[in-house]
Amino acid sequence: MTDLAKKRFAQLGQQLQLDQLTAVRRQAEGWRNGLTGLTGLVGVVFVLKGRESVAGMPAVWRWTTAALLVSAFVLLLIGALGAVRAAHGQLGQRTWLTGDRLFAAVLDEVERTQDALTAARRTSVVGLCVIVAAVAVSWAVPADDSKEPATAVPHVLVVTADGPRCGELMAGDTRTLTLKVAGEKDKSGGRTPAAGEWRSIPLDQVRSITPVRGC
Amino acid sequence: MPDHVATDFREYEPPVPPTDTFDVVRSEDGRWYTVTGPCPTCRATVVFRVAYGVLGPTKRLLGRGRRAPEPLTGSIPVYCQCGYPHAERPPESPDSGCGAFWEVPVPAPGPGTST
Repeated sequence: MTDLAKKRFAQLGQQLQLDQLTAVRRQAEGWRNGLTGLTGLVGVVFVLKGRESVAGMPAVWRWTTAALLVSAFVLLLIGALGAVRAAHGQLGQRTWLTGDRLFAAVLDEVERTQDALTAARRTSVVGLCVIVAAVAVSWAVPADDSKEPATAVPHVLVVTADGPRCGELMAGDTRTLTLKVAGEKDKSGGRTPAAGEWRSIPLDQVRSITPVRGC
Repeated sequence: MPDHVATDFREYEPPVPPTDTFDVVRSEDGRWYTVTGPCPTCRATVVFRVAYGVLGPTKRLLGRGRRAPEPLTGSIPVYCQCGYPHAERPPESPDSGCGAFWEVPVPAPGPGTST
C-alpha cells in the first residue's frame, strides 16, 4: 500500500521552504490591507460625532483628549510602518548569498516579518481603541459654557457722565446707544417679568464701553 | 556496491533495509534537520533538509523570547532526491529522484545522533 499523500505533503514542505518568505510577505500584505481598512472604518463609524473641537471642554479633559489623540496617532503610525515593513521587508538588509546563509537569512526574515506583523497588528488595534476613547471622552464630558445660552446678547458696561450703566446691548446708531437694563429682583430672588427696561444713552455722554460677562 | 542503480521511476514506499543507517542531524540553532542516508531503491545517498516554518503570526509579546523550536519527534517522511535521471519519470513531475519515499525516525534530542 502506498500513501502518496505522505509524499505530497513532504514535497509541499520542501517547496514551502523555498517559498515561505514570499508566502509570508503575501500574508503580511493582506494583513496590512486589513489594518488599513480597519483604521478607515473609524472615520465611517464616527460620522455621527458629537463635538467638533475640544474648545469649551474643561482643561483636564481637553488635555486628556489631546494626549489620547497624540498617542493614537503615534500608535497608528507605528502600526502602519510595521505593516509596510512586514509586507515589503527592511531596507538595506544584506547577507552573503551562499546557499546555507541564504537559507538561514530566509528563516530569520520570516521570523522578523512575523514579529513585525504581530507588533503592527497590536499597535493598530490599541491605536484604534485609543481613538475611540478620545471620541468617547469628547462625547461624555460636559462643556464649560453649557450654562450660557448660545444666543445670549453680550452685556456691556457703559460709563457715562452720570455714572456706569450695565445691560444688554440692543442697538446703536450714530446718536444713541440702547441698553436693556436688568430690573430689580423680586422677593423670590428671580427677576421680574418686566425686568427688561430699555435705556437710550446719547453717544456724547458715553465715556467708555466695556464688554462684560454679566451685570 | 554501486553508487546508483538506474531503476525506473516509481512512486512507492519501499521497505527500508535494516542495515541502512540514516544520520538525522539537528542544526546548531535548532531550526532545521538534515537527514542523510541511502535511498532504499536506487541506493544513492540522499540529503533531505526539513526546516521549521511558521504558518501564521506569532503569539509572543512583541517578539521577545525567541528560542529554538521544540525538538521534532516521530519520524520524517523522506523522498529520493538523488538527482539522477530515471526512466519513466513524467516531465511534469517535480521529483528529482527515483520516486521512492520512506520514513526516518527522529532520534531522541541531542545534536549529531544517528539511527
